[in-house]
Amino acid sequence: MKRIIRLNVNDNDYEVAVQPNQTLTQVLREELNLLGTKEGCGIGDCGACTVIMDGRPVNSCLVLAVQASGSKIETIEGVAQGHKLHPVQEAFVNLGAIQCGFCTPGMVLTAKNLLENNPNPTEQEIRKAMSGNLCRCTGYQKIVEAVQEAAAQIKS
Amino acid sequence: MQLLPKFEYYEAEDIDSACSLMSRFQSDGKIIAGGTDVLVNLKEGKIHPANLISVSKISGLSGIMEQDSHIVIGSHTLVSTLAEDRLIKGEFPMLAKAASNLGSPLIRNRATIGGNIVTARPAADLIPPLMALGATIELKSLDGTRNLTLEEFLVGPGQTTIRNDEILTKVILPETAPYSGGDYIKLGHRKSLEIAIVAVASFIKLDKDGMTIQDAKVILSAVAPKAIHAVSVEKALIGAKATAEVFETAALKAISDCRPISDIRGGSEYRRDMVAALTRKTLLKAFKEVMGEKIF
Repeated sequence: MKRIIRLNVNDNDYEVAVQPNQTLTQVLREELNLLGTKEGCGIGDCGACTVIMDGRPVNSCLVLAVQASGSKIETIEGVAQGHKLHPVQEAFVNLGAIQCGFCTPGMVLTAKNLLENNPNPTEQEIRKAMSGNLCRCTGYQKIVEAVQEAAAQIKS
Repeated sequence: MQLLPKFEYYEAEDIDSACSLMSRFQSDGKIIAGGTDVLVNLKEGKIHPANLISVSKISGLSGIMEQDSHIVIGSHTLVSTLAEDRLIKGEFPMLAKAASNLGSPLIRNRATIGGNIVTARPAADLIPPLMALGATIELKSLDGTRNLTLEEFLVGPGQTTIRNDEILTKVILPETAPYSGGDYIKLGHRKSLEIAIVAVASFIKLDKDGMTIQDAKVILSAVAPKAIHAVSVEKALIGAKATAEVFETAALKAISDCRPISDIRGGSEYRRDMVAALTRKTLLKAFKEVMGEKIF
């Protein structure tokens, strides 16, 4: 039986009727048409489906939409301010930290969340924080450099 | 896309309502906490419950507090909280270390301590340090409360003594004794998103003289159907002097205490060798912790 849930996604309030077996990824993509969140493995290994839920990055493929009711969700669509990219996005573009782009929404959200909690991370801290987000183009070096660059930009 | 099968979903408001739902559904019901195991198992068709009962919104199930010389951890406490919490890091650094090695940061933000225990995987990350630290758990049902040690609770891979109508509510740890220390080491191919090839947690408590080992617990993980005590290592240590040679000789005994299998993650011979190596390393580190060094 469908039930109504309330979500705050990127500062917009939604009321959505969902099936108990719909994941948060499915509801974001299929009901709210927010296609920036990707589904990769579907079992919490790759991090392509990363969203920020109540301040913490999580695999949205392993969250039931009904469990997320009442939560505040941030997806990749909420990161830029209009046409102005967030410093993390800017750094990803400028340093070539994007190849095929499938992991990028998750990478950007995890990195943004890291810098909000730890504005001066060491390289090791960046690698550990990003370790749930896999890039199969294996562009990790550029991604780490982009996060360092974004940290420097935000500080200045 | 990995789709979930159909099921009914119930959001329990309190422990009693969760217990009565479980008592009504019996084997047709399944508790869901963080969902990092349950949802994967559902997607992969390994479990088929008709009803999921969520315990996420029950207040009082998460949090860490001190209570009469014990630390009580609510079963819905997140693994990431265990890794970051000041009290856990101060009192039980090896538990914080194990928590920070579980899955990935994204998994740790959903996975709970209770889920890691009830799922009862032979390589579960939190179980070895919890056993080494002498943890007990509290199970609640409509009939009352049961307190069990993890040794009594765990039976085999995915098997425990929990009844269908019971819910794991608390994990209880005795406060750390003076002159004690411990360490947990997980051996894996990678640092993240890894299931242990072998993991060992060791805990030692010395006499006031700082020389004699008064108590020792050595837990071996991923080398038997469930986490086990390295009984002959513990026996060799208790009453002995804390020296590098004693730790070295005792650690070798772990080889005959374990029963590893060969699988995709490692061969049984390799696992036996690594059990001895990790036992020695964790014991030496535990001794250093007694001497005041930080392990995590």
